Amino acid sequence: MWRQLGRSLAAREGPGSTVVPRAGLKKYVLPPDYSDVVLPEKPKLKFMEKVPAVPKVRREPRRLRDIRGPSREATEFTQGQYGILALGGGYLHWGHFEMMRLTIGRCMDPKTMFAVWRVPAPSKPVTRKSLGHRMGGGKGPIDHYVTAVKSGRLLVEVGGRCEFGEVKAFLTQVARKLPFPAAAVSRDTLQRMREEEEEKRLHNQNPWTFERIVTANMLGMRKYLSPYDLKFKGRYWGKFFLKHRV
Amino acid sequence: MAALSGGGLWRRGWLPALQLVRHGSKAVTRHWKAMHFQRQKLMAITEYLAPKPRIPERCLPTKKEVVEEDDGYVRLLRRQVVEAFRDNRMIVVCQYNPMSNEDVLLTRHYLRKHNIEVKFFLNEIVRPVLSQSKYKNLLPLFVGRNIVLVSPEAKAKEMLRVLKGVPQINLLGACIDDTILSKKGVEDFAKLPSLEASQGQTVGALALLPSQTCSLLQRGSVRLAALLDEYIRQLQAGAEATPGSPGGSPAKPEPSQSSEAH
Repeated sequence: MWRQLGRSLAAREGPGSTVVPRAGLKKYVLPPDYSDVVLPEKPKLKFMEKVPAVPKVRREPRRLRDIRGPSREATEFTQGQYGILALGGGYLHWGHFEMMRLTIGRCMDPKTMFAVWRVPAPSKPVTRKSLGHRMGGGKGPIDHYVTAVKSGRLLVEVGGRCEFGEVKAFLTQVARKLPFPAAAVSRDTLQRMREEEEEKRLHNQNPWTFERIVTANMLGMRKYLSPYDLKFKGRYWGKFFLKHRV
Repeated sequence: MAALSGGGLWRRGWLPALQLVRHGSKAVTRHWKAMHFQRQKLMAITEYLAPKPRIPERCLPTKKEVVEEDDGYVRLLRRQVVEAFRDNRMIVVCQYNPMSNEDVLLTRHYLRKHNIEVKFFLNEIVRPVLSQSKYKNLLPLFVGRNIVLVSPEAKAKEMLRVLKGVPQINLLGACIDDTILSKKGVEDFAKLPSLEASQGQTVGALALLPSQTCSLLQRGSVRLAALLDEYIRQLQAGAEATPGSPGGSPAKPEPSQSSEAH
């Protein structure tokens, strides 16, 4: 009631009247301690070479296993506090690297933040047959190079004297443009995600878990499954990560 | 692979040059590959089921919000409220309507001249403090936007005079000398004379009766003494003027005069 009264009074006063000060309960929380943060000499992301500097290039098979399943490297933070987490497998090519480098370099404040790569430069060759080429005749020439990324890998780390709210916007912007699902995470949110996963796994009310059925080969299920399903327990399908499963 | 890992009979003729490489369909593609129907069934069966609470949430009593206000700033504000209520004799609660900053400043200035402070307390702060103190009965006044005028002296008259010129501030109630007064009560209180004057009046009224009693009690004896004095004077005058008989006639009205004086 009072608020309406105040509004009508303010409206009646019309333009030229002073702004009504509104009281609010302020919270004076202690600012986070950044005393142990050391900024590197070059805070921005390093330029990545488009082509690896090896004298003799060799065309390799596709080796699709390098994007399947959970990542075993670069899953933990090293220097930064915030990062981009891959939630699926895929290939990053040079364009993606440039996009990440430029966007993060433009949005970050180099005096208070720094960013480091957690993925190597593109080194896996991808071949293409030239346009209008007849099929056959062996493997085509190398077209470009990519970096294989598995699900659960950190691509970039951002740190420094900043909070997650400051970096989340541009990290999400970058993550949306990647060729696989990705999300901006901080150390805390990553930890919480893992705890939730573990908690879901422990408190699953479904007695028929994928692992149990597959290991016991119930109803001859193994006929329709691959050995990878034994390993990944139905959480991955090809390069995709099924995040709602346990 | 199945061809390679066959029985020993097969293995005898195995040559490394004849190793077969499977170029079948890729297990991992850039697109979502449809699952086998049996596998789809399996995935549907093995979905995650969230644990159900033993008692449904809507059957539980609503949880009261646990407010953890260990904030230093909130504690400071509360202490200020407690101090303001403890150290001041006159506490006046007013309704505060939006007004320009200049008016607020001027009003504060005029009030401060009379040693009256204007306090802007938040209801969120005041309510929990008051509900535990002896000023519990003031709580209904703290609704909406309030200001509190506090003063170590009970200067209700001056305060009312200042507030008369500020229509945005409405007096709601007051607590003067641990007595809760309504708006009418404050006005009546302001009309009262000051304590010294009323004390003087009381003392005067109290002193009047004993003095009257005293005078009444002494009246007879005083009159007798006056009459006797007059008589003596008449006698003396008669003795001095024995030949002159008209000495008594002027002395006659004097007793009546003296009696009137008393």
